[in-house]
Amino acid sequence: MLSRLSALPRTAWSRLFLDRQAAFWLAELSPTLAPGERRARVVEVIDETADTKTFVLAPGRRWPGHRAGQFVPVEVEIAGVRVRRCYSISSGASAPGAATIAITVRAVPGGRVSPWLHANLRRGSIVGLGDPAGEFVAAPSSGPLLLVGGGSGITPILAIVRDLAARDALGDVVVVHAARAADDAIGAAVLAALEASHLGLRVIAHRDAMEGTLDAAALLAHVPDLAIRTAYACGPAGLVALVAAAGPAALHVERFVAAPPPRLQDPAAPVSIRLSRSRRDITAAGRGSLLEQLERAGETPKHGCRLGVCQSCRCRKVSGIVEDAVTGARSDAPDEDIRLCVSIARSNLELAL
Amino acid sequence: MNPLAAPARTLTAAETDAFGAELDALRAETLADLGQADVDHIRRMIKLVRYTEVAGRALLHFGIGPLTFAVGTTALAASKILENMEVGHNVMHGQYTWTGDPALDGARYEWDIACTGDDWRHSHNYEHHTFTNVLGKDRDVGYGFLRVSRAQRWRPAHLAQPVGAALLALLFQWGVGAHDLHLDETLRGEQSLAELRRRGAPFAKKAAWQLAKDYVVAPALALANAPRVLAGNLFANLARNVWTFAVIFCGHFPAGTEVFPVTSIENERRGDWYLRQLRGSANIEGGRAFHVMTGHLSHQIEHHLFPDLPAARYPALAPRVQAICARYGQPYCTGRFAHQLGSVAKQIARNALPG
Ligand SMILES: Cc1cc2nc3c(=O)[nH]c(=O)nc-3n(C[C@H](O)[C@H](O)[C@H](O)COP(=O)(O)OP(=O)(O)OC[C@H]3O[C@@H](n4cnc5c(N)ncnc54)[C@H](O)[C@@H]3O)c2cc1C
Repeated sequence: MLSRLSALPRTAWSRLFLDRQAAFWLAELSPTLAPGERRARVVEVIDETADTKTFVLAPGRRWPGHRAGQFVPVEVEIAGVRVRRCYSISSGASAPGAATIAITVRAVPGGRVSPWLHANLRRGSIVGLGDPAGEFVAAPSSGPLLLVGGGSGITPILAIVRDLAARDALGDVVVVHAARAADDAIGAAVLAALEASHLGLRVIAHRDAMEGTLDAAALLAHVPDLAIRTAYACGPAGLVALVAAAGPAALHVERFVAAPPPRLQDPAAPVSIRLSRSRRDITAAGRGSLLEQLERAGETPKHGCRLGVCQSCRCRKVSGIVEDAVTGARSDAPDEDIRLCVSIARSNLELAL
Repeated sequence: MNPLAAPARTLTAAETDAFGAELDALRAETLADLGQADVDHIRRMIKLVRYTEVAGRALLHFGIGPLTFAVGTTALAASKILENMEVGHNVMHGQYTWTGDPALDGARYEWDIACTGDDWRHSHNYEHHTFTNVLGKDRDVGYGFLRVSRAQRWRPAHLAQPVGAALLALLFQWGVGAHDLHLDETLRGEQSLAELRRRGAPFAKKAAWQLAKDYVVAPALALANAPRVLAGNLFANLARNVWTFAVIFCGHFPAGTEVFPVTSIENERRGDWYLRQLRGSANIEGGRAFHVMTGHLSHQIEHHLFPDLPAARYPALAPRVQAICARYGQPYCTGRFAHQLGSVAKQIARNALPG
């Protein structure tokens, strides 16, 4: 009884729709005030290279702070649809409620989000921010370090170096900065300036255009004591593999490109489905919709019309490829909602069921 | 004039499939075209809901005299109508879920009316839209107590249905709210009291808060103006009830709409389903503002063919749907509001009598 009484204000808040009213009127006042969503304002746009820009963001009072090397999911609305991409925070560590953080984005040709950010974000624009995350962080007492960044993969390395410099902890750090050419090297000036002012920092600028792609011999020539260093690598798969093969004392890797989507299979081929909520693995076989296959395997997912009309069977597809039985449209990106009754499995799947 | 006088041509299986494929293509084309304009529209509507509500409530709370009362009540009624019809009903169909905006997520939206969102998603999105106009399956055919078609068995209680329909109009949100409780089944002894109580609990809770909102909290905040605010809320709710009743009854009950026996949905193909949606629904003609105020349910036909397409798309789809129907010799029931409403009234009066 008492607990129900104490819950009354919260219940009333939502039952009287005051939550929705507050969200609306606060957002009318300023988009960054909208409750429940963390929104940042772009305060500066810096051209880094021909295809890379840094966006300095004011993340607002709700920013929880982050450790150098972590990334943050950035959400924007493109043609009416909210889309999210992760970006490493290229500025150093931040405290809760920090005034600014920065992300550095290379425009991937043909990409959905990164070229849009370049074309549309300007000072005053608003973007949504998720929670900063990631384990690509260097403890200040990690001993001798080797930080390897290639292409846009230099962004978390920049953050780590900035952070170590701010803490005066650049004791014995080697940065290998690989880029296609000098005018393509993101943050080269920043690294050069830090190198000039910190004795413990050595920066090796490798430019493919002049020296060819970095190979094992060149890497070892640059960093003969590689075996005693804890390495952090972010960049093209080949570069990361090179560092791993050279045998550093320990290796931390950050990957920008998601694992490739699973192999597309024939609609009739059996697929294995991981049901992540109930922690079950089943094999779905035979023709028909995912709903039918799940039911044949003994599952009882929530459903209604079985026609793709009522949305009762809508659920989150964590990974895998499905095809809409009516329109033929494919869903292959992770974390998309699908309707079981009109979806045909085209690969192994994970569903939030 | 109801162009529906011509009976529907019976289609061969191949024609039915082709008919369905044409409508599927129209749907796919629209889906592929969804974008900023659609989101902008629904956000504009939400803005309109909020601003008219604040304007209406402010005029009721702080105004003096009958003029501000009338304008305030009208604004509040308009806000409720828009929220229930153009925003709530359409968002809850999942018409805007593709935006990824949590405020527009069809599975989570809760509308500002006595009926709970979850009850509605079950009784309306699933039952009514799947089994549209199938006797014994679609509980929206006469809502369990009205005889709207001669195909329904006559009972003496139907003699009173003109009065019953008028009462339903005034209390429409309560009728809608109680719809998924299956009260009629409990009365007939087909559903236990315990089951009724289980089904009814969420509705009872929501209803209590809805009553508290308009008839306790709002008047209390108005202090001396409390009676005026209470009356304004009452009239706004009544106006919303009568309006939604009128629009919704014109959607499936005017002359020219058909009901179907349960056997008609055995082995129903996709094209058959489309045909049944078409023949069971009726449109209302009107201008842009009228369509918006009906939540585009004035395009009931397009809504039943494409319940998950943003409703604001229906006016542009309508001529193309009508052209497809014409090519396949299918009726397309439409008429002006007064005409359709008159037709519904006639149906209710006519079917009150046996035969
Ligand atoms: C943890 C993490 C941190 C990241 N940090 C950064 C960062 O600091 N700066 C940055 O620019 N990006 C970063 N990314 C990549 C970023 O999230 C996007 O993937 C990238 O911006 C492309 O998105 P898009 O929508 O433009 O392209 P999409 O439309 O998603 O992809 C288009 C095509 O480009 C390919 N592609 C995707 N990413 C890349 C890439 N990086 N290089 C080459 N091809 C690619 C895809 O496989 C696809 O074929 C990070 C990713 C992760 C997972």
